[in-house]
Amino acid sequence: MTRNNQKWYDKPVTKLILVAIALTWIFPIFGFLLSSFRPPEAIKRTSWWESLYTGEYWRELTLQNYSEVFFAENLDRSFYNSLAITIPSTIIPITIAAFAAYAFAFMDFKGKNFLFMMVVASMIIPLQMSLIPLVQLFKSGIEIGGIPIIPALDINGTFVATWFAHTGFGLPLATFLLRDFMMGLPKSVIESAKIDGASNMTTFFRLVVPLSVSGIAAFATFQFLWVYNDFLVANVFLGVYKPENLVVTSHMSQIVVGLFGEAWHLRLSGAVISMIVPLIVFFSLQRYFIRGLIGGAVKG
Amino acid sequence: MKSKSQQEKLFNFGISLLALGAFPLIWFLSQAILFRELTEIISRNMLVVIGLLVGSSFVFLLFAGMERLIRLAPLEKRDSLEARMFAGPSLFMIGLFLFYPAIRTLYLSFKDRYGQSFNGIENYTWAFSDAEMLVTIRNQIVWLVFVVFFTLFIGLIVGWLSDRLNKGEAFFKSIVFMPMAISAVGATAIFKFIYEYRPPPLTQIGIINGIRVSAGDNCSNNRLIDGVLYDYADSSCNRAIGWLQQRDLSGLNIGESLEAGGWFANMLVNLPLNTILLLVIMIWAYTGFAAVVFSAGIKAIPSDIMEAGQIDGASELKIFISIVIPYIKSTIIVVGTYMVVTVLKAFDIIYVSTRGDLETNLLAVKMLDEFSKYRNIGRSSTVAVLIFVCVIPIIVGNAFREKENSRL
Repeated sequence: MTRNNQKWYDKPVTKLILVAIALTWIFPIFGFLLSSFRPPEAIKRTSWWESLYTGEYWRELTLQNYSEVFFAENLDRSFYNSLAITIPSTIIPITIAAFAAYAFAFMDFKGKNFLFMMVVASMIIPLQMSLIPLVQLFKSGIEIGGIPIIPALDINGTFVATWFAHTGFGLPLATFLLRDFMMGLPKSVIESAKIDGASNMTTFFRLVVPLSVSGIAAFATFQFLWVYNDFLVANVFLGVYKPENLVVTSHMSQIVVGLFGEAWHLRLSGAVISMIVPLIVFFSLQRYFIRGLIGGAVKG
Repeated sequence: MKSKSQQEKLFNFGISLLALGAFPLIWFLSQAILFRELTEIISRNMLVVIGLLVGSSFVFLLFAGMERLIRLAPLEKRDSLEARMFAGPSLFMIGLFLFYPAIRTLYLSFKDRYGQSFNGIENYTWAFSDAEMLVTIRNQIVWLVFVVFFTLFIGLIVGWLSDRLNKGEAFFKSIVFMPMAISAVGATAIFKFIYEYRPPPLTQIGIINGIRVSAGDNCSNNRLIDGVLYDYADSSCNRAIGWLQQRDLSGLNIGESLEAGGWFANMLVNLPLNTILLLVIMIWAYTGFAAVVFSAGIKAIPSDIMEAGQIDGASELKIFISIVIPYIKSTIIVVGTYMVVTVLKAFDIIYVSTRGDLETNLLAVKMLDEFSKYRNIGRSSTVAVLIFVCVIPIIVGNAFREKENSRL
């Protein structure tokens, strides 16, 4: 869009305010990132701006903090755990939601509108409401009047508990977003496929899923970042007491809280490592992420 | 005839039960048990690999199995059958993971600490009388007011001003938006480094204390010049402050001069400084989200309306207030709603920085504390219900407002 009298707006004060805000926003990361390359004792000896000023910073530059936190502190294991949590926790809800969205968008069944209303309504339930009963469910199942509906599973502290939890919490938004997206697809194409005798499965896999890729990507990016950055669910269902169960966020939380003392060199380098994956995903898929976010703005 | 339709009804009911209950349940149980056993049998590295591959694809078995079953059904029934099969797992999971727990939490909130026997509204009277809970509720209100106001305000400024630029719009928005990608744990680490306090003879490495102690003629942040150490031990120097331990302003110079009296001064002195410094982290993280959404809203304003304003000679501020704000009002309310809900659920920042001590606690942290630290299921559920009760009217009101708008 071109505006003719753009010059009228383009006052230096606009840029000045924006630059000021941008600098304020980038500044916290700036000092943090710079400090992460300093030797442990130097971080505590002089402040980072002082070391920049005296030029000491460039003489001492090192990657030792990174190798220490990644290998000696076992952050690598937490990193692999994070991936093993995040990827299934993204794929499972997308799969289930895509099928449900297809049913809600293109098929007819009794109670469809009511059930979809329930999906929308479930978005307002904060996940805090689910934590205690789910911990109990994963531990000892559900009994109603002494009759076991779900047997004792005893899966707290395993990956599968976290996958389920993230699936449950992500599904309302996923179903809602994908159904919304599929409603926007040309109906005639889907109908003509059905007339040609394609089964629902075929239509779904050959036609609807390929056409919905950008909608799926929007939710996938959102869910991936959400799960990877999540600390609450990992804390409750995976626990923080067994070191082999730590994910990146819970591992980092232990370092940041100060379980290992005021280990600033570990906090700095560990936090920077934990940010790499989300930032890559964020910058390469920013467009999708924003769409997922805006869709998720009503999520409770 | 009648018996046939009844038979059909029964058949339909059976299918619904199968699709909504039995089939997803079988999937749920088999995946749970399979991976529970695997966790014990195989090595950790193998588990990660298998988890990645099988954990992700196991769900397809559910739908493949359903498809098999549907092929057995008579042709004319397949469509409605399949619809329920497709929607079933999603509804099952939402029911099991959101609706059932919500009802159960509400139920548990009327029970004692073990979740065994009823104790009426005791938990609720505790929630509104316990000193720690009252501080938690106060903090939650402070967070709501400050975080929602500043994210919306700065978000509007960035969204509006960056739209005015000829180039570099995406750049500015990306910088402000970037913290959205960083975990709250990472963001807290970043700000802890800024607020860092170290006891006096040590060098201050947090920049706020660093600047504070080196202000003044004889003061320096342990600078070594030609072998001579310049420090901040001189009595004229500012003391370093433990920012996250500071519950009010009394430790600051301002606080001391304010002590004089008057309700306003008293209120200022009692300003929960550490709470405010912690909520800055959330403002930093979420402003970009507001900015991006507002920017999209501002772009949707028809350009002739803006041009009309310009031709009439309205100032930039005037255009902003009387054209832009009314035009994107509903967007502002949506983002505001989102922020209110997000603040009510804020957890990571407090948990990682102060662990809820020093009068900085929030409801979501308190809820988990009661559950895992004090082992009190009743009280923990009550706090969860409080969060829920605060969320409902905001979202429901929002939904009604939207419905009214769409009717107009």
